[in-house]
Parts: sequence; structure tokens; C-alpha cells
Amino acid sequence: MDLAEAFRNHRDTIVNKWVAFTLSTYASSSFFLRERDNFANPVGGNIRDALGRLFPLLVRGAAATEMHGPLEQILAIRAVQDFTPSQALAPLNAVKHITREVFTADRERSRFVTELYDFDFAVDLAVLAAFDIYMGCRERLHDVRIAEIKSGRDTITDSGCPSRLLPAQNIAVPQKDSGV
Amino acid sequence: MSVPKLQQLAESVVQGPTLATGAIPTREWTELPVVFKSGNYAYPAKAEKVAYLDSQSGLHFPNSREWSPEDEDWKLPENWKEIIIKGLAERLDKFRSLKIFMDCCVRCGACADKCHFFLGTGDPKNMPVLRAELLRSVYRNDFTLAGKILGKMAGCREMTVAVLKEWFMYSYQCTECRRCSVFCPYGIDTAEVTMMLRELLHLVGVGINWILEPVSNSNRTGNHMGLQPHTFKDNVEFLVDDVENLTGVRPNISFNRKGAEILFITPSADVFAEPGLYTAMGYMALFESLGLDYTWSTYASEGGNFGLFTNNEAMKKLNAKMYAEAKRLGVKYIIGGECGHMWRVIHQYMDTMNGPADFLEVPVSPITGTVFDNAASTKMVHISEFTADLIRHGKLKFDKSRNSHVKATWHDSCNTARAMGLLDEPRYILDHVVDWVEMPENTIREQTFCCGSGTGLNTDEIMELRMRSGLPRANAVKYVHDKHGVNMLACVCAIDRATLTSLMNYWNPDVRVCGLTELVANALIIPGENRAELDDGLRTLL
Repeated sequence: MDLAEAFRNHRDTIVNKWVAFTLSTYASSSFFLRERDNFANPVGGNIRDALGRLFPLLVRGAAATEMHGPLEQILAIRAVQDFTPSQALAPLNAVKHITREVFTADRERSRFVTELYDFDFAVDLAVLAAFDIYMGCRERLHDVRIAEIKSGRDTITDSGCPSRLLPAQNIAVPQKDSGV
Repeated sequence: MSVPKLQQLAESVVQGPTLATGAIPTREWTELPVVFKSGNYAYPAKAEKVAYLDSQSGLHFPNSREWSPEDEDWKLPENWKEIIIKGLAERLDKFRSLKIFMDCCVRCGACADKCHFFLGTGDPKNMPVLRAELLRSVYRNDFTLAGKILGKMAGCREMTVAVLKEWFMYSYQCTECRRCSVFCPYGIDTAEVTMMLRELLHLVGVGINWILEPVSNSNRTGNHMGLQPHTFKDNVEFLVDDVENLTGVRPNISFNRKGAEILFITPSADVFAEPGLYTAMGYMALFESLGLDYTWSTYASEGGNFGLFTNNEAMKKLNAKMYAEAKRLGVKYIIGGECGHMWRVIHQYMDTMNGPADFLEVPVSPITGTVFDNAASTKMVHISEFTADLIRHGKLKFDKSRNSHVKATWHDSCNTARAMGLLDEPRYILDHVVDWVEMPENTIREQTFCCGSGTGLNTDEIMELRMRSGLPRANAVKYVHDKHGVNMLACVCAIDRATLTSLMNYWNPDVRVCGLTELVANALIIPGENRAELDDGLRTLL
């Protein structure tokens, strides 16, 4: 029995608890947890899928580049929800504690709690990468906003108009060109 | 980095009592106040726009003023409560559907998890049942016997400023897409509850600028942008030049031409903004290939009807304009372009507001002879119905390989899908012009997910809100993008074309957005054409 076996043995338990903790940050966490159809429950589905993919990467100490996919899957969602940056990222850290909790509860494997340095380090790397990804999402959002403004649609609410504001004899006063 | 204790972590993550902190909520939902902060509300309407609208014939937008949702004091009129309760009484009397919707909900919860705002935010007040409850609680308090006797026990609430603020928050976190209604066993149209909430708020001068300024522009010049006739004409003519450059065929167009057989009306976005421009070019290429006798109008220069997002008076007036122009020009009937809520107004409200349009003729395709009985009352045919009929009769020739750069998927726009049942015609057209795949079953047809920015919520100050409410749609697009290499999201709605573009730019940057008629025109073989090599269809830069 070694650490790798302990992770294999408790993988589902740890991931499930990790998913539950992450989804508990939403006011309607019970629905997000319960509904398993990814299209009927995109927040719950994506977070479950992404954490499930992320966990084995953390266990084997994968490079941050390998973790980009699942981290982006989570952070793209949390970056546009009503969270502060720290709130958006914090659930990633939870896996350290959850893993300890699960190992501790298993008498045969509780000794591995002292061997989690590499795992903790992998989580730290993931959190740092997540910070960059979160900022990337916010910058993308900023670009989306700029692109929309540049498309000219903002002129809907910045045109001249209403004629009522003009004296009747002055009705032909040219208004600001409407951004054609 | 130290190892955090789960409890501490939870407390840093979750504000307020939830399961994460192990605490039991101590307050009822009715007692949790809304908090407005930059980014979670759309800007209020400018006072001058509201005053202008209120001064116009047939419209009622009283109590104009400058105010901010973030301020404690919204500068409501002194008798605001009386205005709201009286307004509700009038509407309960006038709209029987509202009375039924207020009474018949049994809170079964079938709608609860069907709303894209709920799915994207997890906010319980975005469950359609609870959003409607914001109004029902006041209705029960003031208009039912049970409410008068039992009060809070019957789920009643007195109308207060806090309740009013809650109405503003959540009636503008609903796009009136009506997905929830599909699942309601009683057929409650929760969108109409939102419509009533917005109507009541307008009575006390509470509305948003992104809606009221286009309404004011439409009232004056006929379109959202406030484009004057010469500008509208210039824009369309630029597109004529583009079609000629690309295909070698110059569309023959006319404006305000009396005696034309058909009046063509489309959202003004199609003639001024990408990617709608390509759809407008598509319309003209298609009509030119048929030699259709049609005219544009510089007065009925807007299919969109933001009046629908304000109150029934504004909706009626903006809808009437299209028919007034059809009457003035003496056309036989109207073909409508790729718009969403224009069709909802036509199919669900037009007949009782301004119809039936007896001065027009039941639409008959001049090319195939097909009688569009479905439009016998409104006299308005959807461009996709018209096109599908042409294809069915072999009147159009296509070279599908001209769309080989496109792998499409189909977004059923909420209004055309759920409010007029336009489900199969677009798919029939797609089959003939492009390689395409469906998104997952519970995200299409009647169950389609909204773009997240309809009903005048397509403004950039609430971009985060739009991105999260559009997640269910984007999530399904991502699936077909990853699985089938989809690179184009096609639809028949101008708001979709604009907002899905932003949505894709955030969630699926490799997927572009287009109108259906753009794909039709890409593949269309136009008689007499001298077409350049168009690697990107009508979007090709020569």
C-alpha cells in the first residue's frame, strides 16, 4: 500500500467532496449538486467534470500547462459570477483539506497525511495558474465589451434626438450623426 | 502556502448563511434586500427620454427624473404606492391572463430550474416561480381575501420600497424567453408576469435607458438607432454595392415605393451592424434572384419592437407603424426579416392590439403560388417560411460547397421558436445550403436556451450578467464545437446575432454567428452571376 494507492482508493470520495464544497458557494447548491445532465445544469456539470479531470493531474504533479483546460473550465464560469477574485479561486484550495480529512478517517491510510507535500505543492501551482486564468477571463470579458462598443451599437443610446427638445421652428437642426 | 481549514475557507468564500458554513438561513427570502452595485443593473433611463416619450400621443411614461439604483432614495413620486396598487388593479381587470397567472400557480417547481438566469447564477429569486412570487405576494396581500385574513401566513407582502427595488432587480434579470412556460403544467406565461412588473415600474418612472432610448428613437424616426430616412437609404445602398462586388449581380432595390407587391421589414440592426449586415445582403441577393416586386421603407425601418419590453401602449404603437406604412404604400402583404420579438408581437399580440390587418391580402408567394394561411390575419410572412417554400418547389439553385468553410449549428431563437413555432423551416433550409449539426436535445426547439441578453438587456454595463445567463446556451454550443468542429452559430434574430457574437467571443471564440439568409445567399446560384472566389461567403474581403 502506498500513497498512489491511497489516492486511487479515495479518488471518488475526495472529488465528490471537492465538488460539493465548490458548489456550496452557490445559493442554490442543492440543485447544482443533484442534477447530473450537463446541459440542464451547466455550472454543476462543468465543475464536476473539471474537478474530476484536475484531481489526477494534481496527484501526479502535472505541469501547470496541463492543468489549463480544467482550470479554464471552472474559472471562465466563476469569473463572470458574483464572486470576488479570492472567492472565485478559494475552492481549489479545499482539496488539500478534504484529502487530509478523507485519509485521516481511513485508519489504514491515515499515515499518508504526512506525505502530502508534493500534492500540496501541485495544488499551490494550480492555484497560481488559476489566478492567471481568472485574469485572462476578465481580460477577455473586457475585450468582449470593447468589441461590442466598437461595433457601433452603443449609438443606440447616444444618438441625438428627441425632436420634442427642439423648438418647433428649429426642427431641422442637424443631430449628431448616428454612427453609420 | 499553508493548508487552510475547510471551515475558514468556507467563510472566506461564502457570504451569509448557507450550507457551506453549516448555518441555517435565519431570514425568509422575502426579507433579504437586494443590493445594487456597478455591474448588476442596467443604467436607468435618461430623464429627457422618459419625458419625451410621455409627451407623445398614445404613450404613458410619467414621473421622469434622474435617479440611480445605487442611491437609497430613488426619488419616487410621493404617492408611488398608490400608483402601483392602482396600476396593478387596472391590469388585473384588463388582462384576464394576469389574474389567472396570479391565482393558479401551485408552486410545483417544474419551472424552477429551467431559467437560464437561475442556471447561470444559482440565485433562487431567478427561479421563475419565485420571480413571479415577487408580484404574487403583493397581489395576495392587496387583492385576495385569504391575504387579508392570513397575511404573512399566506405568503403576503406589503408593497414597500424594498419590494419595488426587488422588482427592478429581477424583472431585468428575465429575458421573457418563455422557456419556463414550456414546462409549466398550467401554461403560466411567466414572461407576462415580468412584462407586468416592468409596466408597473414604468408608472413610477423606473426603467432602463437601453430600452427606452430605442423606443424613443423608434417613435420619432422609425428605428432604434434614430437613423433618418436618407441615412437608412444610404446604408442599404452600401450593401447593394457590396453584393454587386461579390456576386456580379446588382440588387435592384426601392424605398417607399407605392404599389409594390410586398413591403419588406427587418430589424434595423441588419443594415448597420455586423454580422447582421451580411444577412441583409443575403435578403437582397435572394430577392434579386427571384425578381421579387418588393420595397423597403425608410419609415417602417425597424422590425424590432422594444415597446414589448416596456408597456402595452408602446408595443401597440410601434407595431401599428409597420401596418400604417403597409397601408400607405398599398402593398399586398409584408415579408418580415430575421427578427425575434417582432414575431412574438405579430403572433401573440398584434391581432388584439392593431389587427386584423384587413386592408392587406392573405400572403401568396408570387413565385410558387403557395398561400400562407398561417398569416391570414397578420398578413406577414417570415422570410424563412418564404424561403423554405421556394426550396420545396425547386425554385432556388444552390451550390452547397460554397459554404464548405462553414460547419454550422442551429440556435432556435426564443421568440420564433416558442412564440410562433418556427422550428422546421430553418432546419429544412439548412439541410439544403450547409453542413450542420444539432445541439443536444434539451437545448433546442421548444426547449431552446436564450442568448441571455434579450428583452433589451443587451447592454454592456451588465456584461458579466449576460455572460452567466448565456452560459447554458454557450455550453451547448461548446459541446458541438468540441465534438463536431462547429464554427458557426446560425439563428434568425437580430438581437441574437449581436449578443451571441459577444457570448461566443467569451465562451467559444472559434465560433462565429450568422443569420440564416446569409448562409442561403452564400450557397445561392444567382442567374447572371459573375462571382469571385468567395472563401468566406458574403464576408469575403475582396
